[in-house]
Amino acid sequence: MASKGHIQDGHFGLRVYIVFGLVTLLTFILCVSVGSVAVPPDETVSLIFKAITGAELPRSSAASIIISSRVPRVLCVALTGAALSLSGAAMQGLLKNPLADGSTLGVSSGASLGAVLAIALGLEFAALPFAGTMVTAVVFAFVSLLAILSLAWRMDRSLSTNTIILIGVIYSMFVSSLLALIVTFASDKVKTITFWTMGSLAGSSYANALVLLGALLVGGSIILSKARELNAFAVGEENAVHIGVNVRRVRLTVLAAVALLTGVCVSIGGCIAFVGLVAPHMVRMITGPNHARLLPASAFGGATFLMLCDLVARIILNPLQLPIGVVTSLIGATLFVVILYRGRKKAL
Amino acid sequence: MISETDSTLLNVTGLTVQFGGRCVVHDVSFSVAEGSWLMLVGPNGAGKSTIVNAISQTVPHEGSVTWCGQDVRSMKPRERARIMGVLAQGNSVGYSFTVDEVVRLGRYAHRPSLFARTQNSDRSYVDAEEKAIEEAIEQTGLTDLRSKSVLELSGGELQRVFLAQALAQQPSLLLLDEPTNHLDLLYQRQTFELLDHWLKAPGHAIISVVHDLSLAYAFGSGVILLHNGQIMGKGPASEVLTPDLLEQVYGMDVQAWMRSLLQHWC
Amino acid sequence: MFGTFHALQKHVRNCVLPVIALVVALAIASPALGATAPATAQDAGSKDAAAKTAPAATDAASTAKTPEKAKEVVNDPTGPAKIVDMTGREISLDAPATNIVALSAADCEILFAVGAGETLVGRGEYCDYPAEVLKVPSVQSGYETNIEQIIALEPQVLLMSTMAQTKEQVEELEAAGITVVVSDAQDIEGVYESVRMIGALTGHAGDAEKVVKDMQKDLEELAKLAKDNKGKTIYFEVSPLQYGLWAAGKGSFMNEVSELLGLENIFADMPAWAEVSEEQVIDRNPDYIVTISMYYGEGPTPIEEIMARPGWDVISAVEDGNIINLPNNELSRPTPRIAEGARMLADFIAAEDSAPVAKAA
Repeated sequence: MASKGHIQDGHFGLRVYIVFGLVTLLTFILCVSVGSVAVPPDETVSLIFKAITGAELPRSSAASIIISSRVPRVLCVALTGAALSLSGAAMQGLLKNPLADGSTLGVSSGASLGAVLAIALGLEFAALPFAGTMVTAVVFAFVSLLAILSLAWRMDRSLSTNTIILIGVIYSMFVSSLLALIVTFASDKVKTITFWTMGSLAGSSYANALVLLGALLVGGSIILSKARELNAFAVGEENAVHIGVNVRRVRLTVLAAVALLTGVCVSIGGCIAFVGLVAPHMVRMITGPNHARLLPASAFGGATFLMLCDLVARIILNPLQLPIGVVTSLIGATLFVVILYRGRKKAL
Repeated sequence: MISETDSTLLNVTGLTVQFGGRCVVHDVSFSVAEGSWLMLVGPNGAGKSTIVNAISQTVPHEGSVTWCGQDVRSMKPRERARIMGVLAQGNSVGYSFTVDEVVRLGRYAHRPSLFARTQNSDRSYVDAEEKAIEEAIEQTGLTDLRSKSVLELSGGELQRVFLAQALAQQPSLLLLDEPTNHLDLLYQRQTFELLDHWLKAPGHAIISVVHDLSLAYAFGSGVILLHNGQIMGKGPASEVLTPDLLEQVYGMDVQAWMRSLLQHWC
Repeated sequence: MFGTFHALQKHVRNCVLPVIALVVALAIASPALGATAPATAQDAGSKDAAAKTAPAATDAASTAKTPEKAKEVVNDPTGPAKIVDMTGREISLDAPATNIVALSAADCEILFAVGAGETLVGRGEYCDYPAEVLKVPSVQSGYETNIEQIIALEPQVLLMSTMAQTKEQVEELEAAGITVVVSDAQDIEGVYESVRMIGALTGHAGDAEKVVKDMQKDLEELAKLAKDNKGKTIYFEVSPLQYGLWAAGKGSFMNEVSELLGLENIFADMPAWAEVSEEQVIDRNPDYIVTISMYYGEGPTPIEEIMARPGWDVISAVEDGNIINLPNNELSRPTPRIAEGARMLADFIAAEDSAPVAKAA
């Protein structure tokens, strides 16, 4: 049964990438064509075509809606989905636990703590509205990861599901009380802080998309280059040591990449829970656990998943808008329980 | 082979391991020569597995461990993995990797880094990799299971998968913690014969933890008897596994018990 | 503003407590559906119930001819104060209240408006108008109201709004000998009622009546402009784009004022506080935009920020620069200043109308 795929060490061929790319592209087109205001498909297509070719755009509400509002938003949503999903997949491999994710471990709340602290201390630059919060969000995501994991390892070296959930809850409570403390001391900034924590991807700009793309390229390629090491971690950390993986260095590298991705996403779009849990889980059912396939597929899958969630959030109660996190949490929490239940049954 | 000679590969001196202030292994010294199979025996909690883990650098320790005169602790992980292959106890896998994928991980240390690959277009390592995996899978009798998920395997099958991984690693020293733990008698015999054959190749040596003293007697070229983290005896099996020493360590007449077991049906 | 803290905590848990995420998801969903918008919920005192009385703005002026008007209402600084508060509880004091703690910003404003500012011995922490109010000791209010702090101030009366406190807290306060009076203005008519109630409570009934009459007169005058504004559309922005657009819809004071002025709120089909999309604003193309965002002294002002939004240049209001910033709760807090806010809005629209680019239906 040794197929040709083995020689490639489990990597996808070009054809699979084209399929993933096409699915993502089709979802993108769907999400740009449908929204709370109906714009005819032919007009949408011609507008996008004009925008790409650099032709002059007509001055119309349709042009504004498609080119200035919907396209950048869907782009940001797709990039955020890819980044969160990729970091989720990396964490699940690293910790050998399919329930590990930025939101379940409390990393995203750590990142928001960093961002809120930046607001409270006034670390904002007028020219770069996100720069201050972004840097602190990334730093705090990394520090949170180290804190959470060293605590978890101290409690239970095998990082069982119970420990993961427990640590996530404890850390989140901790962050929540720190946030309350900051709010108490920085009462003049209460409004900004509150609005920030409600952060949404509404009003995303092409500049945001560019920042997300940059983070995804850097963080994503770091994670992708560690696919084999992540396979070793997913089989077992001790086994990884035995086969010669520098576990300490790989762990720190992957965690830094995860922190970069999570921090940037949180500072631009706020906490969007469970994306990193749902997308890799679904993708794993198709590709299997080999990270050489799982990681790139997760990036595409996460982008597709979040774009669809965003579409639901935008149109289900039209013209009212739902926060995207409501949709991802409803799906994610359900899946979380399913995974937990299956895991329990297996353990018995 | 327990004393240091020209053919000495591994040398352990003054090895001490503490867990939370408790001394689990105390001042253990021995060496392993080319072509020899060292058996670590002793009751539960004697420190056998801990010695294996200390040599493979998965637990922190005091004292020195050298390979051909080189300090193992200062080796890079990949370098160490090209020398030592480890079969640990109680392996479990979290995701449904295939047998092939798990065995393939054994080649990790042999694959040139991404950077080296961009510098050198030599792809011969690919063939070496395939050959090593092919052999390891065949030797451990996993050919039919190759594309099966490891989650669907029995304990014995999983044990063989990790043995195959260690063999695919093409190390000079195999560190085996109860290598036939979950195996039925046929596989136990095949595994020991396979390892005995593997040992014949130049530059190879084995250290293994076994509970079955008759296996230690039959295959070991040397035995270390441990009790409470200390060496009670080391040397050829015939000198170490004496009734007196065994009585002292196990608190019972081991040989009488083994004999009575066999007498029931032989 | 007490909603702020609560919303913050809720949000944080949303990020972090996956185990109860189902519950939390519903919790976030509820503000999205318009039950409470963070940060502004209390300022506006908006509740769904407000919807039923909202359209009566122009009638409000005429209903001012209440039976009370027959007998002249005068200040009574000594006599017993008998009132029915806005939850229907009958309250009688031997003499007008002289020591009052007011928790809501609106009640503080009304106390000063009726000339009873000196009775205030304590205020909720978010009370900020008029400036004198800041000299009064503040107590923690809202979600984490500090009952001990209130009792320590030894007030006769505690003024608060309906949703602020639990029944247990009210009972605890009454047990400590403090009379609890509840105000509950959901619309402009409700503002008149709370002004009169607070006037009667403090022996300033005459002053209160004058405040009400002034308001009524102002609003009546403004209502006359309605015919000029026919067909003009307006959009009230509560939260800026960066944080997700929130607009004022039906049942908000802003909507009531826009109806009074004859303007058409483009989101009148939405709940009082609703998250809307950029697309909807562009599509509904308002002639005027009111933003209530605060300016923090850095970066672009709220108006500049709206003008600079990509794609918004096709909106009439942006094209013509018809954007006004009303950041001081003029149109969102149930106080006599509503009339001022309405006047500011009317003046703004009249001024923009005289500009040549203005559009009319």
